[in-house]
Amino acid sequence: MDLTQARETWVGYEFDTAEFTVTRERVLEYCAGCQEIDPRFTDPSHPDFQAPPTFVAQYVGTRTLPEGFPRFGVRGFDAGKAVHCYAPVRPGDRITARSRIHDLYEKTGRSGAMFFIVHRMEFRNQRAELVAVVDWRMVQQGAEA
Amino acid sequence: MILDLHNHSVLSDDGRARAEGYCRWIRARELALDGFVLTEHRQFDRTSDYRALEDETGLLILKGSEVETDYGHCLLFGVNPDLEAAFDFARVDLPLELVVREAERCGAVAVPCHPGRPRVGLCAHYRERGPVPGVAIVETLSGGSREGEQGDALQLAEAFGYAGVGGSDAHIVSHIGRCATEFEQRIANEDELVSALRAHSFRAVSWI
Repeated sequence: MDLTQARETWVGYEFDTAEFTVTRERVLEYCAGCQEIDPRFTDPSHPDFQAPPTFVAQYVGTRTLPEGFPRFGVRGFDAGKAVHCYAPVRPGDRITARSRIHDLYEKTGRSGAMFFIVHRMEFRNQRAELVAVVDWRMVQQGAEA
Repeated sequence: MILDLHNHSVLSDDGRARAEGYCRWIRARELALDGFVLTEHRQFDRTSDYRALEDETGLLILKGSEVETDYGHCLLFGVNPDLEAAFDFARVDLPLELVVREAERCGAVAVPCHPGRPRVGLCAHYRERGPVPGVAIVETLSGGSREGEQGDALQLAEAFGYAGVGGSDAHIVSHIGRCATEFEQRIANEDELVSALRAHSFRAVSWI
């Protein structure tokens, strides 16, 4: 499948929903892992205690890519996540994450041609407020098997 | 006047800097830049308006593009609607000869960048397939170059009689101002940048 056809077929396709409950322990573990020091994120007694901005990036859904999604190469690697925050995430929040293919594009670099798959997870809380959007870029490259 | 001709903002998929961040860094570090060009990957940014930021910071902020061709990546300066209509900026296999020719026809300038870089620079492709007609300027000094790549770029420019510009290829704020281009005259907009490039009244400079 060429990229143009793949874009027409897959960009915008929603393929997964997952739910998470944010706990104080999970927030504190995450802060410890990041060596976070801001008391707004590390001190549960802080009046504005909340999860740090990148907290939701740890969540993964039940699928990485949709069923039947084409391969664009034999090798792959994680090209990172961009986190856009819109509202605080706090312990007790019930978060619903919806995943879709946000973009497909190709580029060239030192290592040759690369196909980028942008998996977007949109996180909403129990009040349906958008709290964060995470764009996860995955690269595939190399001739197809 | 010194301009850093090759930088990316968050509008590029791999850019992590905003124009405001570049300006703050330039002023905080007292870099010898009078301005910079944002050359977003595979697109031209028609919408951003940096005039207020220019007034606030006293820096010139121009817009160009970096497209991908069969001979590697290529900067475009003086992008206008005619050039945008000439080919699809998003493609990664644009013929460089077409890009150079259409830039010339539309009143813009095409500058192959980081020529020493494997796969996406001019040097490797020239060794395999020979030179491309119409190329007159290359980015001889690139802030994104690795060991040996700068030397290859300078040798290529000398061998083919190309003029050389400098650009940082910055994707984060702290990388701006590593390489730049010093012009003999004042430049206030994209048209004047094109004129200065076409006049070859510049030299590449580096601080790395």
